[in-house]
Amino acid sequence: MSFSDILSVSTSGMRAQADRLRLVSENIANTDTPGYRRKTATFENAVDVGQTTSEVQMGRVKLDQTASKRIYDPAHPLADPTGHYDGSNVDLVVEIADAREAQRSYEANLQMFDQTRQMSAALRELLRR
Amino acid sequence: MFENLKVFQMSSAMAQHAAARQTVVAENVANADTPGYQARTVASFTETYDAETGYAAQPGQRATRSAHLHGQASGVAPDIREAPDQGTMSPNGNSVSLETEMLQAADVKRQHDRALMIYKGGLDLLRASLGRR
Repeated sequence: MSFSDILSVSTSGMRAQADRLRLVSENIANTDTPGYRRKTATFENAVDVGQTTSEVQMGRVKLDQTASKRIYDPAHPLADPTGHYDGSNVDLVVEIADAREAQRSYEANLQMFDQTRQMSAALRELLRR
Repeated sequence: MFENLKVFQMSSAMAQHAAARQTVVAENVANADTPGYQARTVASFTETYDAETGYAAQPGQRATRSAHLHGQASGVAPDIREAPDQGTMSPNGNSVSLETEMLQAADVKRQHDRALMIYKGGLDLLRASLGRR
């Protein structure tokens, strides 16, 4: 039984959640960029030769295809004859909720990491005397 | 007690079992958002431990994947199976509940600490009997 396997599983979880948070930040930063499409990604199993434990990684980044907001501003350089232009399809509420969930999962992974470290430290403590 | 040092066998088996449980819990937590992932659990220690032969399971040890035997030196490992559905299935097919996993993790830590405490107690007893402090 190798504790380092468990540590790398938890590390992969933390890395995946951090990547997810990065996507959320990019989306929030580009809320007002005309024509911006929201980025999404799902997690998948990271297959590694020789591994007995299943790690996780973020899959390919996809662009959300829901319709962009149509913003009315005739003075805007990109406005079409009706005075509208395409905004982004980012919904701030959804992004904030996603960020919260990413944080919660990150902390859960961190807790697993810490507990594993404590368990292996307790084992070493046993040998010390 | 000193003929086969059963207490050491049992407590080290218990610690190994706790480590196997911790692996499964960590995997579940890491895959808490992976679509289609089913949460896994480990058979309890009472189910896997056979007092006669030490850390052994019933013959015909099953595992969901043979790689999950984790290269145990004793050759057998606790049964890892998919957890029964607790109504925590999310729309993307993921059945992991973070709260359940946190509870499992706390229990694993307790089991591991208890096993090490028993082991240490046995060692202290041996040392006292040898006259060393």
